[in-house]
Amino acid sequence: MKILKFLLFTIVVFILNFQVAFSDEEKMKKGLEIFNETAGCAGCHILKAAGAEGNIGPNLDTVSVTKEYIVEMVTWGLGVMPAYGEEGILTKEEIDIVSFYVANSAGK
Amino acid sequence: MFGKEDKMKKTNNKLNLRRRNFLTGTATLAGLAATASVVPITIANANHKEGEKGLPEFINWKNRDALIVHSDKGIETHRSAIGESLITPNRNVYIRNNMPTMSDGQIGDRNEWKVSIEGVKNPKTFSLAELKKLGHTTMATILQCSGNGRGFFAHKVRGSQWKTGAAACVFWTGVPMKAVVDACGGINGSAVYMTSAGVDHEPTGLDPKKAMVERSVPKKAFKDAMLAWEMNGVPLPNAHGGPLRMVTPGYFGINNVKHLGKVAFTEKESSVKYMKSSYRISPIGKKGSQYPSCWEMPVKSWITRPTDETGTVKAGKVQIVGVAMGGTKKVRSVKVSVDGGKSWKRAKFIGPDLGKYAWRQFALETTLDSGTYNIASLASNSSDKQPELRMENRRGYAHNGWKDHSVNIKVV
Repeated sequence: MKILKFLLFTIVVFILNFQVAFSDEEKMKKGLEIFNETAGCAGCHILKAAGAEGNIGPNLDTVSVTKEYIVEMVTWGLGVMPAYGEEGILTKEEIDIVSFYVANSAGK
Repeated sequence: MFGKEDKMKKTNNKLNLRRRNFLTGTATLAGLAATASVVPITIANANHKEGEKGLPEFINWKNRDALIVHSDKGIETHRSAIGESLITPNRNVYIRNNMPTMSDGQIGDRNEWKVSIEGVKNPKTFSLAELKKLGHTTMATILQCSGNGRGFFAHKVRGSQWKTGAAACVFWTGVPMKAVVDACGGINGSAVYMTSAGVDHEPTGLDPKKAMVERSVPKKAFKDAMLAWEMNGVPLPNAHGGPLRMVTPGYFGINNVKHLGKVAFTEKESSVKYMKSSYRISPIGKKGSQYPSCWEMPVKSWITRPTDETGTVKAGKVQIVGVAMGGTKKVRSVKVSVDGGKSWKRAKFIGPDLGKYAWRQFALETTLDSGTYNIASLASNSSDKQPELRMENRRGYAHNGWKDHSVNIKVV
């Protein structure tokens, strides 16, 4: 009985933690979509790779930041930039993907 | 925090709606140098650790060699490019703008620029040409970003990682706010704050509540405030808020509102984001309008040379030079240490005293043998002195601790 309970618990934990593992290529494709459409980042930032020409926030092609920093910025916002995570505008997964996309597109 | 929204459905229509909602709803040193063997310092020695990025178009007239480009919206002055003269030349002054700089086309005829004055006995709107007839003054003040020194904080702080260069000492020319108030019959009796609003958000189409730079400061600030149209002898550059900017001496940069469109004497603080939630000095992990706003600047100083940017120093007599500010009070003294704060010697002020709101240059001549040294400065005004350590806070504001601002140099 204990073994069954343990197995059941393990399965539940596995399901709860299950996430679709996107390939890098898929992340770039989905990240572009989030950047230009879902989150509307393109309205405020320049990012040549995305064809974005916004001029309110920093030009993302000129900044040198890590994906982790971008995740922080997108999650908590800054100044006029919305807190996409804190305000529930994007999911954690979306934030991770769009941050991956920006980190790998900036300056290219 | 994260909740059920995490699971919200993501259709393009919904997503575009979100975006729409956001957009619509939302003294000379030469004499001193001659007396000591300081390694000659040129701004060309500036160490561009961040690479060879160019300057953005709107400030292509600035001195690239004097600047550290964090982004096209956040540009810092090299430590070694501050203090070579008492006044910071416009080409070396840092850039930190919350909204895009307004273009000549958006500004139009500068003399026809309008600013409304409210919360006074006789509210009026003045053109810049009319303001120029009300009064005229020139004053040197320190312009310093609230986050100057953020780059020293150990916790992860979002925003430009300024060290010492989000600061400048500038001559402003304009009309005293007091003269403007007098022309309007005086301030309404119930006013508690002077609230200044820029109009640089207007071309963006963003929600003013989220994008308008409107800042309230205690009413008393009006007595020394001015509406400036010149910066260091030239018409106020657009990149620095031209054609008209509020200058609140002794207060952090954000309160010196650019592209000024309105000044109101109000009973309450502005409710826009840049007042209510941004620029609040809160503990790490906490935020809110209950915490102090970035208003009066604290006493502060830092070494400008020699520094790690200026290369090795020749053993013998060395001039240690820096800048010191008293905040809203006159800076009284500066001490310098070459041993990381174990012992201190009083430095001399050099150059002219341009008033309590300007910084003073200081210098200490000392003799250093070969070795490595940690050089620090510690300034005092009539009531306060710099603390050793930074005041930890969430957004990395108002750093005036002397230890982080010290520099390591090598003497050979």
